[in-house]
Amino acid sequence: MPAIERRSKNPDTFKNLVKDPALFISVVVIWIFLILFVFFPLIRVLLIIVTEGGHFNLSGFGEMLSKRYTLLSAFNSILLGALVGVCGTALGFFFAFTSVRTNLSKWWSRLFDWVIILPLISPPFTMAITVIFSFGPNGLITHNLLGIQNFNVYGMWSTLFAETITYFPISYITLKAILAGIDPTVEDMAFSLGSSRWQVFHKVTLPLSTSGLANSFLLLFAASLADFATPLILAGSSFPLLPTEAFLQITGLFDMKGGAILSFILLIPSMAVFFLQRYWVGRRNYVTITGKSGSQTKFKSVGKITKYFFLLVCLLTTIFILYFYVLLLYASLIKAFGANNTFTLDHYRSIFTNGKKAIQDTLIIAFSGMMLGGLYGVVVGYITSKKKYFSRKFMEISAMINYSLPGTIVGIAYLIAFNRRPILLTGTALIIILCNVSKYGAYGIRSTVAILQQIHPSIEEASESLGASPVHTFRKITIPLVLPGLFSGLGIVFIRSMTAISAAIFLVSLNWTLITVRILENMTELQLGISAAFSVLVVIIVFIVTTGITSFLKLFRQKGSMRMSSLFGS
Amino acid sequence: MARNRKILLIASVLILTVSFLWAGAQQEAAEEVDEGTVLNAYSIWPENWATPMFEEFEKATGIHVNFMRFSSGEALARVIAEKENPMVDVLFGGPVETFAAGVKEDVFEAYKPPAYDKLEDKFKDADGYWTAIADDPLCFMSNKKFLADNNLEAPTSWNDLLDPAYKNMIQFADARTSGTAVTRIFSILEVNNRNEDAAFDYMKKLKANVQVYTKSGGGGTIPVGLGQAGMGIFFIVDALKTQQAGYDVAISFPEEGIGAAAEGIAIVKGAQHPGLAKKLIDWATTDQMQNYFADYKINFIPTYPGVETQPALTEALKSAKKVFPIDSKYSGENRKRIVDIWIESVLQN
Repeated sequence: MPAIERRSKNPDTFKNLVKDPALFISVVVIWIFLILFVFFPLIRVLLIIVTEGGHFNLSGFGEMLSKRYTLLSAFNSILLGALVGVCGTALGFFFAFTSVRTNLSKWWSRLFDWVIILPLISPPFTMAITVIFSFGPNGLITHNLLGIQNFNVYGMWSTLFAETITYFPISYITLKAILAGIDPTVEDMAFSLGSSRWQVFHKVTLPLSTSGLANSFLLLFAASLADFATPLILAGSSFPLLPTEAFLQITGLFDMKGGAILSFILLIPSMAVFFLQRYWVGRRNYVTITGKSGSQTKFKSVGKITKYFFLLVCLLTTIFILYFYVLLLYASLIKAFGANNTFTLDHYRSIFTNGKKAIQDTLIIAFSGMMLGGLYGVVVGYITSKKKYFSRKFMEISAMINYSLPGTIVGIAYLIAFNRRPILLTGTALIIILCNVSKYGAYGIRSTVAILQQIHPSIEEASESLGASPVHTFRKITIPLVLPGLFSGLGIVFIRSMTAISAAIFLVSLNWTLITVRILENMTELQLGISAAFSVLVVIIVFIVTTGITSFLKLFRQKGSMRMSSLFGS
Repeated sequence: MARNRKILLIASVLILTVSFLWAGAQQEAAEEVDEGTVLNAYSIWPENWATPMFEEFEKATGIHVNFMRFSSGEALARVIAEKENPMVDVLFGGPVETFAAGVKEDVFEAYKPPAYDKLEDKFKDADGYWTAIADDPLCFMSNKKFLADNNLEAPTSWNDLLDPAYKNMIQFADARTSGTAVTRIFSILEVNNRNEDAAFDYMKKLKANVQVYTKSGGGGTIPVGLGQAGMGIFFIVDALKTQQAGYDVAISFPEEGIGAAAEGIAIVKGAQHPGLAKKLIDWATTDQMQNYFADYKINFIPTYPGVETQPALTEALKSAKKVFPIDSKYSGENRKRIVDIWIESVLQN
């Protein structure tokens, strides 16, 4: 790519920064944000971990590490992450391949897209509750359907199952984009050269999706590492995991330091994933939107039998997911699950009266976070990938820190750092919003960077060589191409603000509370109907908002460009 | 240059939004300073009990209680974390062992309400750091269908629970998060005359029958009600609630005896509204609040002398031959050590 090389002759210098006042201001503002809301809290936590009574002391760390249970938790976390990565990627690939390569009618694709989105936009615990209802000792499936007695649902397998179903959509989205981006003419060429379908899959399609597969594995691995809601309900005491143990250490044993240490152990695999993704997978990106792609031809990748087999597997999974959500809806509409199956709207009445404040607070926090986070994502994404200036690389990595850290540790860090002057933020909405922006704004950065990387520089060059001024090129080419990044950033910050709990649970206060925290509280109070009603409400709100953003996004679609099937598919 | 202008525009929007939100936050903080009739609390009691109590308090005194509900461990962890900038005035409800742990962390203000002298010793801290507003014994709760299917009677001895018929069918709380669990462990220690070897030996044997240790004390009640688990050990307040919700469960007590834990209230050190907090404690520690337990079907035993216990609770307690208070001095001194042993030798084994 000669164009890129030409640009990179221009090194990241300080001079560049001073030369361009607008860039200078943006960079300074972003750095202030990163120092205050990424580094400062982490340094405060680190200080707590490595000091004892004001002196440097690592004995607490050593003591924690010498416990068998700690090591077991670390091992389990990594094992579970790897298994979720493999299973989720396999299932995601199945779906992505079916959706992109089997000439499905629009109706099927849409059905899959809509159903698969459900786990992504659901509040935590949803899958865990329905798994218990279905596979518990008195579960609908294990007990009532299969007649199994004393089935123990708690442990690794149920956690793996629930996390795979919850997170495989991430893999689907990643792989669908990759598969859809492989120009079908490449496969056509192989076919016309006499390759069999298997050869094409094996020698062309699979190698071209390697980066996507690896990326999907790492994303799922990280998601599983950070998940604390599912194991809190399903893992039981025989299968301890780090995020849950860290949470229990703090909330149960009042041991802030021990919890901070446990979540710091999580840092090692999280950071490993982050750097692998960045330096290994990142280099294997294939430019796919070249602007030269011809008309789409009909895919010949699979035969009829294979197609129906694929379709069947996907359909069964889809039905399974739908079943979970119907169960959730059902639980929200009856008096007491399993004991009193009378229809009632009481739970909904309760969430709109007692829970009204939580709903309002959550919406205010999610919308403010969405605006700030979307802007933050696009600005950081744009200047780090298109501009050259001093500290650029470091900024790029710094902006990803909170994103790659498990929520538990970010929440603890914010709680410790912002509970005293000069930055007194506990008890405000701002602390939750800033936490969401610094953590989930990274999705916006990633999507912006991904889009800018996929746009071959030749598109902009073509515009310029045809005589368009740089202003014109920026306005007519770059902005429309970056917009999907902005909107998917907006959407994801919104979704995460509506559904996240691991960091926010430490930051809610009397003045500002969140629906997800209420769901957990209602679950501990055993008001399962109210939890279910809240969960249904969250799913509906997020569904409406993301559908709105997706439709809005379609307005910006350039004629003849690839269809943006969903907000996440960019 | 337009590119620069765009970035400038975006950057200024970013700055504006941040400063706008910041201003909003500051204003919010300013409003807080306004003294008056609003008291802030963390409640360990579930909302459906705390809400009616606080509404009655507001009717009686005109003071509104702004509160959030947390399990005992979380609530205390918050109060400790907020030590330098307390967000609430009062910690309301929850087993007194949580309050004893808080006293060690120096997060409470001593206060002896007018009712203090009338309360039994087990219902108050010697220095007045906490006072009890209710008492709550543990009990066995079993699913009737499970008992019938396995030809079992409702258990009446700790040793009944070791029966292999209970394999994988017992649910009760994890001592790391739940005061209920700590009370259970101290009950087992008491019935074994504080012989730790014998008590932990029993708990290790019992572990074979445990399906899962739940996060909250009442976490196993619905699973037992649903038949996902066969039995569990819970506070009677949770067990009766399950029964009253329509689940077919039997409540029984071990003949060797079982422990009870009092529920406390305390002022948070550095509270912004200490005057209002004292009023709440004055009200909650007497019949003024405790008379409402019966009205709202809250199955706690009142601590204030002369307040009548709910009929359903009195009925359930009839079969309890021996209920003893957990010695708060002994449990306070040994809590951490015992929980650590439990984690090491029972939970993680």
